[in-house]
Amino acid sequence: MSMKLGKWKPGKIALLATVAVSYLFLYLPVVHIGLASFARNSNFPYPPKWSLDIMARLFSNSLYQTALGNSLIIGIFAALLSTALAGLATIGLMRHAGRRAPLYLALFIAPLFVAEVLLGISSLIFNGLFLGLQGNMISAILANTVHCFSYALLIIATQLYRYDWRLDDAAMVFGASPARTFFEVTLPLIWPGLLGAFIVTFIMAFNNLEISFYLLGATPTLPSAAWGALRYGVKPELYALATCVNLIVFALLAIMFVLMRTGLLTFGHRPERERSAV
Amino acid sequence: MKPRVAPAIFLGIPTVFLVGLFVLPLLSMLVLSVWRTENYHIIRDFSFHNYEVLATEGAYITFLVRSLVMASAVSLICTLLAWPIAYGITLYGGRYKLLFSLAFAVPFLTGEVLRIIALQGLLGPLGLLNGVLLSLGAAPLRVIMYTNVASAIGLVYLYLPIVVTVIYLSLLNFDQRLIDAATIFGASPARAFFEVTWPLNLFGTLIGFALCFIPCLSATLAPRFLGGPNGTLYGMAMAQQFGESGTWALGAAMGVVLFAVSVLLVVGVARLIDLRRTGFTGFGRG
Repeated sequence: MSMKLGKWKPGKIALLATVAVSYLFLYLPVVHIGLASFARNSNFPYPPKWSLDIMARLFSNSLYQTALGNSLIIGIFAALLSTALAGLATIGLMRHAGRRAPLYLALFIAPLFVAEVLLGISSLIFNGLFLGLQGNMISAILANTVHCFSYALLIIATQLYRYDWRLDDAAMVFGASPARTFFEVTLPLIWPGLLGAFIVTFIMAFNNLEISFYLLGATPTLPSAAWGALRYGVKPELYALATCVNLIVFALLAIMFVLMRTGLLTFGHRPERERSAV
Repeated sequence: MKPRVAPAIFLGIPTVFLVGLFVLPLLSMLVLSVWRTENYHIIRDFSFHNYEVLATEGAYITFLVRSLVMASAVSLICTLLAWPIAYGITLYGGRYKLLFSLAFAVPFLTGEVLRIIALQGLLGPLGLLNGVLLSLGAAPLRVIMYTNVASAIGLVYLYLPIVVTVIYLSLLNFDQRLIDAATIFGASPARAFFEVTWPLNLFGTLIGFALCFIPCLSATLAPRFLGGPNGTLYGMAMAQQFGESGTWALGAAMGVVLFAVSVLLVVGVARLIDLRRTGFTGFGRG
């Protein structure tokens, strides 16, 4: 760490100012509605007159309760499936694909380059027209899994990139079966990447509107309930809903961050290439 | 010969999954786009009628042009903003780099609807901006909300995080000692940037650009709630075909158009880039 203090060049000031302004731009609305949802004067809560009325109204609304349940189911199952599939795919790409790796990689990350609404609509057409399926949770989970799969693949790949496959070979040389090698050598070393992928894909599927909406018919999810309410104007309850979800997302990522800082979880960049700032 | 079971499991299962639930749906969209819908019924006869409608009716051309302009402008703004942000974080983030970059990824995860609600809190008629203006005694601003500018601000707000994250990751994998080497050999900071840093991170930058452009092109939510009467975008018009109007076949054709533009962009980016020149070393260690 060789931060040379007292070297405030104009370039550095401009860079840091841009960073600061963009954080402000991103977080101002979030903080604003956060304050608004805990205040009686919710239109302009400066200074806020604290109250839990809006939160209480949100939690007594039964539509949001059903919607929360559905969103949780979609989130958990889509995250589980996409993490498992992406784990398989990453190991396959690195160990078994050989010269065909670029081909498989192109297929595996293709969903990144297709807009969510197109995924939703095309799955709706496929299910409704060609399979004769009505809107249902399973279709919604599977379609979300397609979208989350590519993100999970990228997250797991950053972790597995550093993995030393000779460890597996060593275990097998000493007579461990492939399954035993996986559960006793590979998995204990790569679980942080899998956990990271699970958390991120869970949040993504939980909050998804454009894929789930087309595949669910009348079944509400949290985003679709919020979307329905938004058509009749912004109400303080929606601020409260957004704030609750924001708080949960922050909490999950804070847990991930603490784990990473304390060294319980290591992933991302390779230490030998990490270099301190100029 | 030993049967090759492992590749079938590790590569086969994800491939079957994606072909069944990603490729086949896209193909079925293509098939539907050459059929017709009449009175909410789908008539299965082959014709390019839908595409003719899209190519001749003024409204659809306007929507497409508006979407293309909007997506290009927003992606350009995002990329231009994301570079100094990502660069600033890598240079001056020190041991808090990770925290700073995570803080940028967080908003991306909270979902479009909730973020649009947050934006309404900022820009809306009763939002923060107008609240501040009112409390200062000024007249509320009616110009921003429900215009294409509001849509653009909204889309920048929605997709800036992903562009920053992608460019940040690219910079993180970039060996900064190369800049030191360039400066030692007498390059000015500007020259070192344009001849070393920029070309070596061009791949990441273009991926960031594409990952912003593609969802912006098909944006349905932001224009609906932030854009005004003149703010209809292609994706929004497409979503309406599946909702109120019930003309699925036309909507499918619009989906194909959007998909085709996205593919063209990705192919263009791929052709523009010489991977080895950007320092890409392949995937995995083999």
